Parts: sequence; structure tokens; C-alpha cells
Amino acid sequence: MGERARQALPSVLSVLLSLVVCWLLIALTRDADGFTTATAAYLQMLWGGIGDWPTFLGGSPVAVLTRPIGEAAMKAALLTLTGLSVAVAFKVGLFNIGAQGQMLLGALAAAVVGSHVELPALLHIPAALLGAALAGAAWAGIAAALRLYRGVHEVISTIMLNWVALRLVDNWLVVGPLRGVAQAGASITGTAEIHASAALPRLLGDVSRLNLGFPLAMLAAVAVWLWLERTRTGFETRAVGLGDEAARAAGIPVARRAGLAMALAGALAGSAGAVLVLGTEGRYPGTLGAPYGFDGIAISLIGNNHPLGVALAALFFGAIRAGGTRMQLLDVHKSFPELIQGLALLFVAGRLIWLSVLRRRRAPAPVLSAPTAPTPEAPHA
Amino acid sequence: MLEIVTRLLFATLDAAPALVFAALGAVLSERAGVVAVGIEGMMRVGAFCAAVAALTVPTPLAVVGGMLAGAALAAVHAYLCIRWRSDQVVSGIALNLVALAGGTFLLETHYGPNGTPPIQQLTAWDWPALSSVPLLGALSGHAAPTYLALALPFLLQALLTRTPLGLRLRAVGDKPHAVATLGLSVPALRWGAVVGGGLLAGLGGAVLSTTVLDRFEQHTPAGLGFMALAAMVFGRWTPLGAFLAAAFFAFGNALRIGLASSAPGLLELVPQGVLLALPYVLTLLVLTLQGQRSRAPAALGVPYEQESR
Amino acid sequence: MSLDIHAGELLAVVGENGAGKSSLMNVLYGLYHPDSGEVSVEGRPERFRSPRDAIDRGIGMVHQHFMLVPTLTVAENVVLGREPTRWGRLDMERAVREVADTCARFGFTLDPRARVDALTVGSQQKVEIVKALHRGARVLVLDEPTAVLTPQEADELARVMKDLVRAGRTVVLISHKLKEVLGVADRIAVMRRGRLVTEVRAADTTADQLAALMVGDAPRAATDEPAPVAQAPGEVLVEAKALHALGDNHCPALRGVDLTVRAGEVVGIAGVDGNGQRELAEVLTGLRRLTSGGGTLLGGPLARLTPAVARERGVGHVPEDRLRRAVVKALSVEENVALGRHTKPPFAKGPWIDFAGRRERTRELLAAYDVRPPEPTLVLQALSGGNQQKVVVARELDAKPRLLVVVQPTRGLDIGAVAQVHARLREARRQGTGVVLVSLDLEEVLALADRVYVLFEGRVTGEFTRPDYDERELGRRMLGAERAHG
Repeated sequence: MGERARQALPSVLSVLLSLVVCWLLIALTRDADGFTTATAAYLQMLWGGIGDWPTFLGGSPVAVLTRPIGEAAMKAALLTLTGLSVAVAFKVGLFNIGAQGQMLLGALAAAVVGSHVELPALLHIPAALLGAALAGAAWAGIAAALRLYRGVHEVISTIMLNWVALRLVDNWLVVGPLRGVAQAGASITGTAEIHASAALPRLLGDVSRLNLGFPLAMLAAVAVWLWLERTRTGFETRAVGLGDEAARAAGIPVARRAGLAMALAGALAGSAGAVLVLGTEGRYPGTLGAPYGFDGIAISLIGNNHPLGVALAALFFGAIRAGGTRMQLLDVHKSFPELIQGLALLFVAGRLIWLSVLRRRRAPAPVLSAPTAPTPEAPHA
Repeated sequence: MLEIVTRLLFATLDAAPALVFAALGAVLSERAGVVAVGIEGMMRVGAFCAAVAALTVPTPLAVVGGMLAGAALAAVHAYLCIRWRSDQVVSGIALNLVALAGGTFLLETHYGPNGTPPIQQLTAWDWPALSSVPLLGALSGHAAPTYLALALPFLLQALLTRTPLGLRLRAVGDKPHAVATLGLSVPALRWGAVVGGGLLAGLGGAVLSTTVLDRFEQHTPAGLGFMALAAMVFGRWTPLGAFLAAAFFAFGNALRIGLASSAPGLLELVPQGVLLALPYVLTLLVLTLQGQRSRAPAALGVPYEQESR
Repeated sequence: MSLDIHAGELLAVVGENGAGKSSLMNVLYGLYHPDSGEVSVEGRPERFRSPRDAIDRGIGMVHQHFMLVPTLTVAENVVLGREPTRWGRLDMERAVREVADTCARFGFTLDPRARVDALTVGSQQKVEIVKALHRGARVLVLDEPTAVLTPQEADELARVMKDLVRAGRTVVLISHKLKEVLGVADRIAVMRRGRLVTEVRAADTTADQLAALMVGDAPRAATDEPAPVAQAPGEVLVEAKALHALGDNHCPALRGVDLTVRAGEVVGIAGVDGNGQRELAEVLTGLRRLTSGGGTLLGGPLARLTPAVARERGVGHVPEDRLRRAVVKALSVEENVALGRHTKPPFAKGPWIDFAGRRERTRELLAAYDVRPPEPTLVLQALSGGNQQKVVVARELDAKPRLLVVVQPTRGLDIGAVAQVHARLREARRQGTGVVLVSLDLEEVLALADRVYVLFEGRVTGEFTRPDYDERELGRRMLGAERAHG
């Protein structure tokens, strides 16, 4: 087994275990025929995520494939971006619990640029994305600055910043100064509709909501991976995360690397907000609701904080979460896949349990302790 | 004027207990060195189980059930963090996600989106002797948790500062190895603190379902657990400090609600959202001003690894 | 191994680092469990499952790294685990009284109500001793107790130990400092590689004999090599004047150090641990800010030096705390080889990492320095300590430094690795590198250095030039004696 595969094993096993446990949960809470129902529900989840192949092969139009795939891809795009946000911060040794807040501000910035600025599409989309990235980066920058200059632990500061962002945006800006002007007497919630020039183009036309956000997110994953693994600055960032004192002694500007990585984390989370607003919502709605920022923590850790692992985990959970809607056919609530995701994270948290189980099964060869995820040290805050 | 203040105090006392209990739970766990990010999830589990139990058993008993449920979730946290030295923040976040999704799943599966059926709330106690007195009248007409929330911070403060157990708990949060060399069990002390914290968080959740509301609602506790963390930090990791912070936050909230109905003009000047953000902004501000001197336990978040073989 | 400890004696256990002294005592204290064999107390075999059992049988231990809770008071620390109570409540008054009693009985001056983090290191150590005595310890084990003390505090401790023995307690002193051991111990047990080599009476032996016993038959790398051949000192690399800097505890650690380093010489920095050597090395490598003073280092100002600038000017650094400062243990060997030079060829091409160049250079270095296993992709922490150190030395010397600052380069290494590191340092010197060698091992310093500065409490108290090394005089200076006698 390759080193990389060994690294991924606890995550894969955690996801599998979670799938089994959740399957049992459905099976055992049904009075009659629970096992059949559970299996049927899982199949629905699958078809809802990767396209309804049986129906398609039975002669249905291609939309039965493209619609679910489009939904899955959109969710995967958001999970990838927030997951990358958390992963990048991890690489420099910081725990970014604040992706949610950064995403909210990114979404708001995208909505404002999208609706208040008039530009041709070729400029409008980049402008809105840039605005979102900057807003997210600035919000994350607060946490970075507090950590670097005041020693406030980022776990606490980002939790607080999440709530500040939520309250300020949802309870003030969106219902107050930035509220969209009602048209034709009908009052609307949230900000004004973005201009068509700012909307992310649909890639498959009318048969799917798949839009530019998905390739952008995948591109971001590859770019982050290349940056971390192939460039000098990426190497410096990882070195800071794994041993900041050694990095300092080696002449690496530790504070700058940490600050920039945190800003990049915020920018990625902010972009997730932009993809949500420019791709599917069309404006900042009354409340953003979906906690993709918190999901990002799960995705990052299940993906072993590796950019490509994050993309994989996001694709998987994007698919089953898109499929969650179809589970309703069998009276399983659509939030069910989130339970699978949460349990998977819980199992991943017990990484050492997996390692000790796996070690016991293998020969008593001297197992080199694999480089674990950079564990953020104690909150001194 | 006095009447308004009395009404505000009454509203505060009615709403504060859940936050107070959760904040105390967080303090207990973190003073022993285990991060309490999972408080939100423990509250949710406590709230859910209390509401469901109250459908069949008397409400006070259901509250105990909620506490036990919170403690059960805390036990998972303790098992992962103490036995397996998992990252405490990751474990806490995972428990929050599981509690969030699991609560939704069970609620939707069994009761539908509007929450559990209504239950019998905890009885409010009237103190006729008090209710006519200005200001003190605010003390009358609450359910038992309110009075408990007024006493418990002092008890917990006394436990931490005046008893052998408290001394050991504080020591284990600051320097576990010192405690181990004296022949005391670090894992046992931390288990106790984490599960105790879970009991309190579960109580906080149960109080939400049985006094503030009369059921478990979809979004319970809607971030109250995180506000409890803010109260803990704001109160410098002491029970009394956390209590005062929680009471302050609850009072601010009561004031905001009061203003919204009585003086909407004022809210034009200071928007609600700004007021809602205030507890968190203040906590950040306190942290910024204190910097590294903010009294967090020294070994907070550091898994304890015994060097023995 | 077996070892008898007699009541009422002051037994010293000596041995080099890694000889197994601390492990032995941790077994005795119940922190480690023996794979085989047993511990008997007063003739009765015991099974210590935890320190509590050991404490109950009258054994107390003062660890090298203090086991005190800094936020608690002296009294709280002392009674922790067996607190006096009244109706379930902590009886602080009684605790304070009891602690004051214990202090008085053994002649300690400690304020029971003072917070531990406000005490000096010497006082904290007394708290540790009181803690053990308060638990009724009849056997007191002190693990390297003077490593962190000033000489005065060490003298004070010697007096305390003698008093304790006079009061009928047994004291076991674990140390590798021979002179200090000879000064206080009745009996000395010598350990080497996990075995008890011999026991001698302190009165019947000398430091030289002890040293020979500790090291054993194996030739000692440093002493057996020929003295360095004199060579004409080159240009001045470092000219430092009146350096002042704070230590980690924010107290002055350097208090006016003057220092000159020339090309092609090894400058040794000798002194008892904690007299500013570490801080001096950090100043020279840009890791620690000066509070005043300055001078030049490799053609630039010494003030406001940063690690990046220091490296740019040609400073190499083999730090003391390898895993913290020198390497990132979770990165691969080749990544660690690149660390610090990762922006330059052959490690980088423009903004990109040059994987092929890095791999090739790493392979060359691993072969040249005999690092085993020679696997560039291995995670660094999979290497043994000696091989890790070889990687560090290889990296630093490969950068062709003009000035090399080395701190405790051979601590914890086996003899083969020690010899190799020393040979490499000599080689660097021959090629014109100025080497600053900080070591607590005086023999190592004297074997390698052309010139030695003695540091005491942040000041230079002596400067010696080969071949005028007078060990006794050096020792006196290390304890603070000034240039003139008296």
C-alpha cells in the first residue's frame, strides 16, 4: 500500500462506517421492512447525486441525468471552496472555524457588486468574484491579525466573527441599508437581484443548474494543490504550519506566511459565497441559511487537509447531499446526508483509533508515525 | 420607570438560565483543560431529549433526561479527546454537526418540521410576598431553573476555589503532568469535568424546551451554545464571571426586545443587527485588549499523554 | 541492573546523557513500569502502579522539569492531592500552616501564599522539595537539580541536601556534573548504557576516575583526537560590542558581551547552563533582538539582524533544540535539506521547487555524511537522533557558511556520530569558516576551540587562547570569578 493510500485510509473507512451506521439508523427506525427501505433510500440518494441512470436507460430524456448532476456539482463546488478554506488555514497551522462568516461576507459583497455595478459580463463576473474574495479575506484577516499581534487564539476569534458577520449581515445590512428596492409593490427579502451580466453562466443550458462555479472550484483545488506542493511560498507555508520555530530560524517570514494563508482561506470562503449568490441565488436572500462554512471543516478533515482530497470529499458529499432531496420519497428527511457527513467527521476525529486498529492488523513492523494533520495548539486566547 | 426596569429584569431572569447553565458547563470543561466547542451540540441533544421525554414522563423528570443526554454526548467527546487524544476542537465541531443533523432527522422523521408536540412546561413559582415589591418582584414567577441559575454559579465557584476537587481540576487544566506525578489520575479528573459540563449543557438545552418554549424546535438552540462560549471567555473562565457575562448578554437581549416593541424609533439609530452582534464584538474586544493574558487555562486543548510505558 | 539505596545516605547516580539514570528513577517513582525485575522498599518487594504508591512508601521525586502548577500558590501546590479539609471544604489556613511548618523544620524560607509563577527558579525547586517532604518522603530523588540553577543557588541546594541527610532522610542525586557530585555525595553509583558499572565511595575517587568510569572503555571522540593545528587567523567576521539582550523570561540574559570571531578559527563559548550562551547564539543568528549594543557581523550591522538576513550574509546555524529549531520533523528529509535555502538553486527554479535538483543534492549529502537510511523521501522523524543531526550539519555546511554558530552539536549522539560532527567542524574551520561553538561540555569546547570565552551571568568573565587552557581557572571563571584572583 502506498504512503498516500495509507494516509487516506482512515478517511475512507470513516465514511464507509458512517454510511453503514446511518443505513442501520433508517433500517432500525422503520417498523416494517426497514432494511429494504434503507437500501431503497440509499439508492435514491445515489440516483439523486449521480443522475438517474435506470430511468435514463429506460428511455427518459437526458435531463434526468443532468439535473441531479448539476445539483451535485453546485453543492460540491461550495463544499470544495469552503473545504479548501479550512485546509489552507490548517496548512499554516491555524484552525479556521470562521469560513461561515467569511462566506457570508463574500456572498454579500458579490451581491452588492453584482447589483450595484454595471459592467460587461467579461468584467462583471471577475469583479464580483474579486469583491467576494476580498471581503472574505478581510474578515479572515481580522482573526489573523488578532492572532499574530495580540495572541488571541483563532478558534475563539473566528467563532465570534462568524456570529458578528451573521448578525450584521442578516439582521442589519440585508434588511436595512442594502435591502433590495421592492418592485411593483411586492416587497422582497434580501438584496436586489444581480444583473444578468454578473450571473455565472449555465454550462448546460436549461437542462441543469450546473454553472461556471463548479469548474472554478475544481480549478481552485488544483491551483491550491500546485501552490502548496510545487512552489517556494507554498513550501514555506507548510513549513510554518508544521514547525513555526524551525521555519523562523530558516529565515521564513512566519507572520507574513500565516497572514497570507489566512487571507487566502478567507478569500476561498468568500468565493464560495460568490458562487452561491452569482450562481444559484441571484441575490443575497433574506438569510443565507446553508452552513457551508461549517461543512467546510468536515470536508477539509475528511479530505485529510489535502487540496485534492478536499475536492474528492466535496464531490462525494456534494453528490449524496444533492441526492438527499430524493430520499424524501421514502420519508427520509433531506438533511440525512448531513448526518452521514457529521458522523464521518466524528469517526475521522478518532483518527488514532483507526491507526491503532490498522496497526494491530498489520505485522508488528515499526510503524513510523505518519505526519498527522497540523494540530492547532492550545487556545491561549 | 421602575416598572419598566422590573419587567426587563423579569424577562432577563426568564431567558438567562439556559445560557448560564451552558456557560457554566463550558467553564467546568475548559478549566480542566478540555475545549468545549461542542457545547452547542450538547444543548441541542439535551433540548431534544427533554422535549421528547416530556411527552411521556413528568417534565421535571424529562429535564433530568435532557441532562443525561447532554452528558452522553459529552462522554463521546471525552472518550475521543481523553482516551484517544483526538483534536478537541475537531471532536467538538463533529458533535455539533451530528447533533444538528441528527436532531433534524429524528424530529422530521417522528414529528414533522414544526417541532415536537407541545409539552407541559415547568411550573412557574409565584412568590406573592415578592411580586408586589418593586424590582424584587422580578424574582417572582419563574420556574425552578431560574433560581437554580442564580445559585449554581456561586456553588460552582466555591467548588472550584474552595474544595480539594476544585483545586485538582484547576491544576489539571494548567499543568496535568504535575497532577500525575502526585499520583492523581488526569484522565479521571478530565472525564469528570467534561461529563459534568455535558450535564450542565444538557440542562441548558432542556430548560430551553421546557420553560422558554414548550417543545423542541427545529433550530434549537440556535447558536446559544456559542454565546455561552463567549460568556465563558468574557467571564475569564470563572463561574461567577461567566454568570455575570451571561446575565449581561441576556439583559442586553431583553433590552433589545423591549426597545423593539416600545421604542422602535431608537432602533432606527442603532439597528437590531448591531445590538445582536454586540456580545460577540465585546468578547473580541476583551480578548484583544487582554491579549495573551486572558487567563485561559494553560493546558487547554493539549491532549495529555502519560509518559509511562 | 540492581542498586541498593541505604537509609540516611547521600547517593549520587552519575552517567552520561542517555545512560538510563532518569529512566531508573522513573521506575523507582512508579511513572514507568519495569519490563522485569522489582523494586523493594525496606526489604519488601513493591509493585508501584503509579506515583501514588511510591509516595505512600516514602519516596519523593524532584523532576528535572518542575512539576508545579504555576497559577497556584506554594501551599496549594504542596498540598495538592492530599488537601486538608474541614467539612469537605479546602482548609487553606491549615494548609498554609502545615507548609510553613515543613519549611521551618527544614530551614526553607518560602512564603506559602506566594504564587509559584512569581518565584525564582531556585525557590521553585525548594517548593518541589517541600512538596516531597510534606508527603513524608524519606527517600528524596533529585533529577539533575542544578541544571537550571545559578551557582549560588546550586551551593544553597548542596547545603539543603546535606541538611536533609543530617535530618535522617535519604537523598538520591542524579547528575552528570562530576564536581558537584564529589562535593556532596557519600557514595556514587556510575551508570553506562542502562547498566550499573560500579559503586564507589566519594572520598576514594577523583573526577578523572569517575569520568573514565562514565565513558567506559570506548575511546572518547573529543579527547582522543589530536589538537587542532594552529593556523593564522583570517579576517574578522564578527566584531560585537556590549551586547545586551533579554532572555525568554524577560530578564537580562546578556549584559555587555564583547566578542570577536575571525575566519578559520573555532571560538568556544563555555559556561554553566543558563548564563547567556544560548541567547548569544540566538543574537548571532538573528533569532533574538538586542536591547542595546551592536557591532558588525559579516559586513553588516549586528543590530536588528533577522534570521533571513543572517542567512543571506552567510551565517549557518546548528541550534541546540533540533526538533524545534533546526528541522520540521513531519517534512521529508529532502524538504528539510532545502529548508532555509529553498529559494536558491538547486532547490528552486524561479518561484517553483526544483524537485530533481533537490533530490540529487539530498542524495549526495546523505551519502557524504553517511546518513542512514539514505532515503530523501523519508519523513525526517523516522531517522534516529544522530542521523537527524547529520542532516542538519550537512545542510548547514553545504551552504558554505562564512560563520557557523553551533550549539550543543553532539548532545545525545552516539560516539560515532560525535566523531563525525567534530570532524566536520574541523573541516569547516580548515576551509576558513569562523565557527562559534557553544557547549556545556567543557571537554568538547577545549578539544575543538582555538579560543574560549567564558560566560557567567551574561558577561564574559574570561578569555583563553590555545594552548593556555587552565581547566581550574576556566572552572573558576565559569563560577563567576573575575579576572583578578579573589
